[in-house]
Amino acid sequence: MKRLTLVSVLVAMSGAAQAQQPAAPTVTVIAIPPLTSPNTGAKGNEMLALGWEATQLIGTDLRQTSEIMPLTSKRDDYYSYPEVTAPTFSKYRAKGAKALITGFVQSRSDGRLTVGCYVYDVEKGRELMRKGFVIGPGDWRRAAHKCSGLAYTAITGAPGIFDTRIAYVAESGVGDARVKRIAVMDSDGGGHRYVTGPEAMVVTPRLAPKSEQIAYVSFMGGTPHVRVKDLEGSNDRALLSPGSMSFAPRFAPDGRKIVVSISLNGNTDLYAVPAEGGAPARLTTSPGIDTDASFSPDGNRIVFESDRGGSQQLYVMNADGSGQRRISFGGGSYASPQWSPDGEWIAFTRRGQDGRRIGIIRPDGTGERMLSRGSTDEGPAWAASSRELIYQHAEPSGRTGLYRVAIDGTDPRQVTIPQDGSDPDWSGVLD
Amino acid sequence: MRKTLILIALALAGTAAQAQLRVPFINRQPAQPVLQGIDALRVEFATQSGGSTVYFGTDSTGLGAPARTVLAAQAAWLRRHPELIVRIEGYGDGGDTRDHALAVGAKRAEEARNYLLLFGVPAAQVSAMSWGKERPGLGRAVTILVR
Repeated sequence: MKRLTLVSVLVAMSGAAQAQQPAAPTVTVIAIPPLTSPNTGAKGNEMLALGWEATQLIGTDLRQTSEIMPLTSKRDDYYSYPEVTAPTFSKYRAKGAKALITGFVQSRSDGRLTVGCYVYDVEKGRELMRKGFVIGPGDWRRAAHKCSGLAYTAITGAPGIFDTRIAYVAESGVGDARVKRIAVMDSDGGGHRYVTGPEAMVVTPRLAPKSEQIAYVSFMGGTPHVRVKDLEGSNDRALLSPGSMSFAPRFAPDGRKIVVSISLNGNTDLYAVPAEGGAPARLTTSPGIDTDASFSPDGNRIVFESDRGGSQQLYVMNADGSGQRRISFGGGSYASPQWSPDGEWIAFTRRGQDGRRIGIIRPDGTGERMLSRGSTDEGPAWAASSRELIYQHAEPSGRTGLYRVAIDGTDPRQVTIPQDGSDPDWSGVLD
Repeated sequence: MRKTLILIALALAGTAAQAQLRVPFINRQPAQPVLQGIDALRVEFATQSGGSTVYFGTDSTGLGAPARTVLAAQAAWLRRHPELIVRIEGYGDGGDTRDHALAVGAKRAEEARNYLLLFGVPAAQVSAMSWGKERPGLGRAVTILVR
């Protein structure tokens, strides 16, 4: 993969670009002139209008990142179709851009659209990445998200998170009348919908790797238990035979297994269960509470929390349950770990004097860093980029909301949702 | 609900109160029958065993002396009513994380259940579940008469 090698601009820039400090967050300025079209006449105008919508969405996507800063797109900044693959770099250089996106929207004879995206290094005058999609006319938003992802990957080397989904528990009402339903939305808040009804209390939705299924915990029938539901269609089934209490589900990276906690006679241990159902294989046998397991991206290891030593701490083991080893020693209790998609970090909730806060730690137990301010935060989930987390924060009033925080230390910001929300999960990049 | 509270208060006051129970209360609402069936049994269970609820210290799943007293009385009452089924609902702590709270609630419910079994209540008479921190009333285990 070609990486953009640029002199980056310091965020807190107070003059000309200076010698870089290694730890400072850097921002790449990108130009996004409006997507053009090879079509002519009325069809051409229609495609240009669609291209302008897509261009603005790409700008909105990239503006949300901490690594890329888009220049404001202007509708009259027109370029011809041949210039998609032969842009006038000097024009964008003069505007201070280090990177450039060009592209087109083409109407096909079958009524569908071809969308092409190209990402350039403006200084070197070189193409970095390109991608084309054939889509239905209603899918232009997803095509725009794919273009944003292409630019993000070309510049940072990490997967873009624009074409991903967020699942969470939508909350309304108070006290005994609190209603909790699972909701799913695109990562930019579009396509919001509820996937469970108000009749049963639910917690902890966990998306399958390709987002085709969701595992969650329902109190339907009186005992909390793990259920698996297809996101399209109505198939919704209990993962295990009735009677036992199961919770804290998480899919393996290949989607074929789900690791869960099962509580038997008050003792909670970890088990691996085939995603289509079947006999659970026991992974832990400690007399304490072992829960919140999460696979490493290669599927070979599992991080989980256990209070076997007196307080909740993080442990790493092989996927078959062997080689269990504690990795957290920072004081306080550690809970709800999740392994990052790039394998480099484990996110967690720490309970201490300052309440509950979100942090990250290396899988070998080094490099611990706190990211959220607390004091009632929990349940971090990684973005596909491994550079950002989504988590739950509760207000003193008991109201809950979702927040995003980048691991480079920038301030958390609230995610807009139609009501209160908890237990967020973030999918990988959709196919 | 108000009626239940009055009944509990009177019953707690002792046998002297029993005699007063009928007169002022029934006179006030003659059309309403006194609690019957499962509701009456629930009141009797709660009053005669010192409460349906036992409490736990934060982050603790161990039964304290007050909890053991209540559970022993619950067990004595349940042995006299082998036809009844109870469910113990365990609650976690509000400061805990979602899933650990579920596990703690399960452990608390099971501790209470085991104590009832220790005092001779048949295992089939008592089930246990956990609300984690999903319902108000954290840090406790409640024995609920199901039928």
